[in-house]
Amino acid sequence: MTVSSRIQRQLIICLAAIGVFLLSSLQVFAAEKRTIGVIMTGDIPYYAKMHKAFTTKLAKEGYGDAEILLQRPYPDLISWSNAARKLIAVDVDVVVTFGGPATLAVMNERTNIPVVFAGVHNPAAIGITGKNITGSMSKVPTSSVIRYLKGITPISNLGVLYSDIEKDSLKQVEEIENISKDLGFKTVKISIRWPEDVRKIKASGKLDALLLTCSASVNMALEGILDIAKANKLPTASVLKNDINSGVIITLSASPEEQGELAAEKVIKILRGANPNTLSQTSGKNIELIFNLKENMSIGFKIPMDLVTEATKIIQ
Amino acid sequence: MEGSRLDIKKTFGFCLILVIFILLPFEILAEYDTSQQEILIGLIPEQNIFKQMDRYRPLASYISEKTGVKIKLTVLSRYGDVVERFISRGMDGAFFDALTGTMAITKLNVHPVARPVNLDNTSTVRSYIFTRADSNIKSVKDMKGKRAVFVDRATATGYLFAVAFLQENGISDIDRFFSEYFFTGSHDSAIYSVLDNRADVGSAQSTIFNMLILKDPTIKRELRIIAESEEFPETTLCVRRDISLSVRNKITEALLNMNHDSEGRETLKKFGALRFIGAGEHDFAPIINLAKRANVDIKGYKGKR
Repeated sequence: MTVSSRIQRQLIICLAAIGVFLLSSLQVFAAEKRTIGVIMTGDIPYYAKMHKAFTTKLAKEGYGDAEILLQRPYPDLISWSNAARKLIAVDVDVVVTFGGPATLAVMNERTNIPVVFAGVHNPAAIGITGKNITGSMSKVPTSSVIRYLKGITPISNLGVLYSDIEKDSLKQVEEIENISKDLGFKTVKISIRWPEDVRKIKASGKLDALLLTCSASVNMALEGILDIAKANKLPTASVLKNDINSGVIITLSASPEEQGELAAEKVIKILRGANPNTLSQTSGKNIELIFNLKENMSIGFKIPMDLVTEATKIIQ
Repeated sequence: MEGSRLDIKKTFGFCLILVIFILLPFEILAEYDTSQQEILIGLIPEQNIFKQMDRYRPLASYISEKTGVKIKLTVLSRYGDVVERFISRGMDGAFFDALTGTMAITKLNVHPVARPVNLDNTSTVRSYIFTRADSNIKSVKDMKGKRAVFVDRATATGYLFAVAFLQENGISDIDRFFSEYFFTGSHDSAIYSVLDNRADVGSAQSTIFNMLILKDPTIKRELRIIAESEEFPETTLCVRRDISLSVRNKITEALLNMNHDSEGRETLKKFGALRFIGAGEHDFAPIINLAKRANVDIKGYKGKR
């Protein structure tokens, strides 16, 4: 065997080895299916819209085949914790949380899995921070919601529906109490953890309007709340966008669709190797102000035209 | 003889027709002078149009009653195209803000008549650039990539000052500087947009800003003013120069004297002013200066893209 033919043989062997290596790594890459765990704080339309936008955006960006493990626990501490543990146990690539309580539940497990949150009213105020966590805030000024409510009817006693185990909802109650004196009304706190708790509304004395905080428990009991509101001719306002025909009269809400898309953008960056630490927290930019004129008229109130013109959407 | 008599007749007839033709326009003008018992005044939508009508209607009734000239009001749907709309709608005058007033004086040759003195004893307005007090925006550099809200391109206090201010701070292209920006068409809507967090930074007129605070003092705590402009003239009534002098004088007199009778004072209270004072073209000089700072040529400015 000549020297040149020996070099030729070694070159062929070398190329073959490189080829085998490349093929096998491609196979590994193809076999690596991404798994994303999602926890909703509660099974409510706001988070459902968010999740839909989240998965749509993922699919659009080429992650349509990612396995999504969706958890919709009943809004209580044990269920949130169980949902978080399940996802950590299957070692998902990223955990996505919708709402403050679900985010806090994952944080409590002290996992190293990256966490992306969305639809959290005020993350900093409820202690959502950490090296492997990022997300988007959905805060809307509660004072604005009350201002619009006061445009419909004078308010002396405002029924504020919240859940005493949902920290971001509690934070909103605190905000409302802080401005109540200046805006000249009394805050009547009504905690709703179960659908039957809506009867507390009737037992709370004379109310002029109801404000629904971002609590998942409150929004899961929406039907019962609105029945009572209608029967007692109480205008309602919410900080979470519901279904169009839900019957809430004033809604000032961060767009759930935008929140879902923002979560997807962050998840994609993490799946592509970004450190959550380097992804700054964002705020929703699309804030919707919806007036339901149809429902308002049915309980005998009229929204002044100068308020109606502020709306980004009107239901007639 | 017969022929010359005929000529005299002809000449006399011709002269008569000539005299009639010469005198006829004076007749018509005189009739126009006395018959102009109704004039149409336009309102710039500085506030929500419903609030705007509520504010100006008592004023129009008062002037109508005092002068015998019926004042009809019409709200311009938007600031832009104000010059074109003034002509197309056949308006006799309008309450213009500082920028549209300057545009109208330059392009329509209207005559400034009077402007109100606010409750704080000023007859001027300023532009405020503001954010929510709980936002991280404290200076121009913090505004980069944020959402901005303006009133209309044809307002000094709701747009032009902001453009000049940004230019002086090194921002010449707002399209690139803000992540998005939009126009609300009225000052109160621009303020509510920031209050509701629908925009991060806004620009609006000081009088409307202060009016909202007067109604709801909590607003003062929720908003932070980042910059404010020099003084510009308050909304000024300007009328066409070809409007009859007697009508113009009657209206001017009624406005300038309304604080001297109880009915007038009551109307002023509803309007939110102490009195009206006379106005002149020189009042608009600060706007000419502002336009220069914003690189805008008033003569060619249409208040729209």
